[in-house]
Amino acid sequence: MGIYVEHLKKDFSYYRKETGIRGSLHNIFHREKLIKEAVKDISFSVEKGEMVGFLGPNGAGKTTTLKMLSGILYPTAGRAEVDGFVPWERKNEFKRKISIVMGQKNQLWWDLPASDSFYLNKCIFGVEDYAYREVVTELAELLDVKDLVNVQVRRLSLGERMKMEILAALIHRPDILFLDEPTIGLDILSQQKIRKFLKYYNEQWKTTVIITSHYMADIEALCDRTVIINQGQLVYDGELADINRLLGGRKLLTVKTSGAVDEKAWTAFGTVREIHSAGAVLEIPHEQTREILTAILNGLPVEDFNVTEIPLEESIARFYQKEAVD
Amino acid sequence: MNKYRCIFLMGIERALEYRVSFLLSMLSAVFPIIIQTAMWNYLYGHSDAAAIFGYEHGQILMYTLLATLVSQLTSAGFEWEMNEDIKMGGLNKYLVRPVSYKWHRFFGFMGQKIPRFMVIGPVAACIIAAARFWKGLPITAARVFVFVCSLVLAMMLNFYIFYCIGLLGCWLTDVGKLFGTVSIVLTVVSGGIFPLDIFGGVVEKIVNILPFGYTAQFPVNIINGRFGWERIGIGIAMQAGWILLFACLGEALWRRGMKRYVGIGG
Repeated sequence: MGIYVEHLKKDFSYYRKETGIRGSLHNIFHREKLIKEAVKDISFSVEKGEMVGFLGPNGAGKTTTLKMLSGILYPTAGRAEVDGFVPWERKNEFKRKISIVMGQKNQLWWDLPASDSFYLNKCIFGVEDYAYREVVTELAELLDVKDLVNVQVRRLSLGERMKMEILAALIHRPDILFLDEPTIGLDILSQQKIRKFLKYYNEQWKTTVIITSHYMADIEALCDRTVIINQGQLVYDGELADINRLLGGRKLLTVKTSGAVDEKAWTAFGTVREIHSAGAVLEIPHEQTREILTAILNGLPVEDFNVTEIPLEESIARFYQKEAVD
Repeated sequence: MNKYRCIFLMGIERALEYRVSFLLSMLSAVFPIIIQTAMWNYLYGHSDAAAIFGYEHGQILMYTLLATLVSQLTSAGFEWEMNEDIKMGGLNKYLVRPVSYKWHRFFGFMGQKIPRFMVIGPVAACIIAAARFWKGLPITAARVFVFVCSLVLAMMLNFYIFYCIGLLGCWLTDVGKLFGTVSIVLTVVSGGIFPLDIFGGVVEKIVNILPFGYTAQFPVNIINGRFGWERIGIGIAMQAGWILLFACLGEALWRRGMKRYVGIGG
């Protein structure tokens, strides 16, 4: 069993307040109630053992969706089933099957060493002693934090703390893991370590994972499939590799020349992105790569060239803009 | 139950984690005692009557001492954490675990009281023993036992009262501002500073009906021998009744509050 979401919707109410004292005084007697549709009628499903990237700009509704799927929030409308359970019924059997890690929210006990939080989780989830020792030893080794588990959480660096958060979330070996920006604010090395660990863990334990991240490197390294939402609506659900194709299947051609080439000459081959005295970067249609390249090699004083995919960040950004414009 | 034993033990650990903070919080109980002792000494020193408001000088000093110590044991303090949990989304970590937030708070609260009890217990025992031998108060083993029972019930009652107040955070954006006022008012109306029966008449009747006196004044009046067994029996029943009432109120507030909870923050 996996995750099934049908027409899920979540509205938040809030009040508008004008700036300044006058606005505050007015607010005491009259408040204008507004409704924000954080998630508008989204539907998707995730198979057991699948690792899905859940993308969208800030405020798109990613975290709200994850909170509904983990039972933290009640939806305004719609249905969801996570491993056969309705999340917001908050049954203990459901809670034993899932775990959520939030990059911007500390779930460990700040004043105590991480090992105390691990032990508390062991007790709360009813994990056997031997299984607990095994999981902590294994994961602390993999995440390279075995010397830090007895250090007070508040004294750990952000990267170390995030590793501890992930470890704490996996003490009961959940079947489903929700990761909300697990690498936010971390240095490159910590990001790589966490990515590597998550990949290994998913392969090893066949855990179903939904991950949100603004770092495309996370998504590229971990997920074959991506769900993109924008302004609370689903705008893409499919293979990560297909995103570029859907946006017109374009490639980037970087050419280095032995001398300056006139801009007009470059525009004949494609959309000029950059131009300088010794070359240019062009955006070209994927299916004409061979012809364009041949023409450039024949017509211009080429020293070197390179053909690459359009960076994923850029493609995703276009998706965000596309929806916003639509 | 194993999980709540862990939470209880963790509460003890948390209380001991910051030694200076713990010692200062203990010291904070000493200053009110000094001020009140000076105040009562002055009042009784300038009065010809042997007893004022129905209390002799020694009795009122003993009340002040015991009431301060009992208030130290029953005082909540977790309502600030609840406010933070509700306001900043810290509640999320409890909602996704197979654990009750209420019991988590309760056992954590009881655990945090243990180190305090280790200090206050011997002090209170010395005061009670001194009162027994020098003032001839009718303190028996049965009375001490009932006092301890009423103290535990007082802790439970105070827990539920503040648990309900903390849950108001689901409706009020920043309920923290309320806590300071509520805490002072409740300390006074619970008899934590001076005995409320000094007002006599209607005030005493109201105090006997309201729950607050059962969190401080009632246990103190058991051990200082002011209450007979019949009054003690009624008081224990009142404590149990109020606990039940606040427990039901807490459940209702929790159920409704969680539908409003927005789990703010990423």
